[in-house]
Amino acid sequence: MGRTITEKILARAAGRAEVTPGQNLPFAPDHMIAYDFPGYTDVMFRQMHDDFGIRELSDPERYVVFIDHMLTKGDTKERDIHQVTRDWCDFYGVTLHEARGIGHQVAAEYGYALPGRFLIHFDGHISGLGAFGALGWGVRRDLLEGWVTGRIHLDVPASVRFELTGAFPDGVDNRDLIHAIIARLGADGCSHQVMEFTGPGAASMSIGRRQGLCGMAMFTGAVSAIFNPDEAALAYARDHARTEFAPLSSDPDAEYSSTHAFDLSELAPQVVLPGSARADNTTDAASVGDTAITKAFIGSCASGRIEDIRAAADVLRGRKVASGVRLNVVPTSKEIHRQAEEEGLLDTLRDAGADIATSSCDFCFGYQKPLGAGENCISTGVLNISGRMGSTDANIYMGSAYTVAASAITGHITDPREVRR
Amino acid sequence: MTGYPPPPDVIEGRVAWIFGDDFDIDLIIGVENIKYYDADKLRSVCMRAYDPGFADAVRPGDVLVGGRNFGYGHPHYPPMVAMRNLGIAAVIAESFSPGFWRGETYNGMPLITVPGVSTAVRRWDAISLDWRAARLRVPGRGTELTGTPPSDRAVQVIQAGGSLNLLLSEHRRAPSETAR
Repeated sequence: MGRTITEKILARAAGRAEVTPGQNLPFAPDHMIAYDFPGYTDVMFRQMHDDFGIRELSDPERYVVFIDHMLTKGDTKERDIHQVTRDWCDFYGVTLHEARGIGHQVAAEYGYALPGRFLIHFDGHISGLGAFGALGWGVRRDLLEGWVTGRIHLDVPASVRFELTGAFPDGVDNRDLIHAIIARLGADGCSHQVMEFTGPGAASMSIGRRQGLCGMAMFTGAVSAIFNPDEAALAYARDHARTEFAPLSSDPDAEYSSTHAFDLSELAPQVVLPGSARADNTTDAASVGDTAITKAFIGSCASGRIEDIRAAADVLRGRKVASGVRLNVVPTSKEIHRQAEEEGLLDTLRDAGADIATSSCDFCFGYQKPLGAGENCISTGVLNISGRMGSTDANIYMGSAYTVAASAITGHITDPREVRR
Repeated sequence: MTGYPPPPDVIEGRVAWIFGDDFDIDLIIGVENIKYYDADKLRSVCMRAYDPGFADAVRPGDVLVGGRNFGYGHPHYPPMVAMRNLGIAAVIAESFSPGFWRGETYNGMPLITVPGVSTAVRRWDAISLDWRAARLRVPGRGTELTGTPPSDRAVQVIQAGGSLNLLLSEHRRAPSETAR
């Protein structure tokens, strides 16, 4: 019987010829990743040293730490948090990537996200590395099991296949696809499974679009998402790889729990209403009605890539952000920031009245310029639960970079196709 | 050591509340309170939006019942700390959101998947739950439902009172040893 790419990656990580969905086994991840965050990493650092008595790692290259949160205030609290992390990484010989951008993106740029690799993180948005044919799995506090033992117990997931055809029409992108999937299948449509994207529509998607799509997998109930590596993914991997890698792909006769067809050319811009990305909270941008906004945000691990910044610049070129609206744009990494600058995109955005911020996670979780009570924000961030970006009395709507940029121009939530006509 | 005492083999209690599908557990204490761990504070806000008398009515051993995808959203830990403090011994749901399931299993809470549970019980029904077998009995209704038993590893975690306790029992070492 054929196997899925997920089953093959996990079989390799388990040291077995094959694994079957439903099996609970210990797996050895290629990399075990964290960003420093109070209550997570500082606790784990202390537990490893004090509670487990660990003084040395036999394979420190499997551990990776990013500093990508809490970079924008420059106060002593921030400094102290990061110093604990630097000290721990120094002590154990663990590689630390500091302030290079959002870790889920930087992990690709620094060559950890390679085809066939298995990576865990406490944060579920690590699933974005599926764009490269790697399996990224957010395991929350069970990261400690990986860090202490080198292995982690997981249930082998079944896979849900998404057969994608067509190409995104003007003003529509991966962000609209993930919300269209949730709208059709529900917020548990892929519960405890892996989303596998295949077909000519998948092939038509750029690497950045694949990352944005896979990074939102958790909102379908999935544990991860993945593309079989094609030449585009392999070329990226060859350019960035830290070490040699051996790609894996699904067999033609692999078994899936279900298969769903989506024609990308039929998608329309989607908006998620405040609260959560549930199906009944998801609607066509055109039908949101007159909803005034004061803030607009383009960034996060699920957006802010060069494709998203190009989309925003396309919409905003020669136009102005509406009076009373602040548009904040955060390139996902410094590398993307540099590229956007070189392409002239950031100048276009600045000319339109946007503010460009340094690459970090800080807007998305309400740390940088938090929303005030009564504000409405349209965001490409990953979450729109109450209080996520500041006041619990602010409302967060979510959509694509096209939709956010168009809404910033009109001052109310807007279908980007209306602005681009 | 952290975590909670392991549950008895069979949990005997009542259904303290029945939640709907895709339930975001942060709503248990309200999103404005999701960073508090103080026990008195958590007790004062727990379920206030649903039943202000909840904290006084619940007894140790009572359970929560959920619909599909219980724990959906971006679950924080304090809501379930609040429930633990009141004596909630398990959550029985149609299904669980993976992130919530992993985070709360780490803490040793039995999260038992039993399809049909949300329509088979009413609030305050007496129940008994053989959590290892995922077997739920509702004597007052003559109902017995069997769900998906937790994996052997999840059973070990729950028996140990959480993953940290289990890992410490398996892997605590002398300082000279090397992690791998």
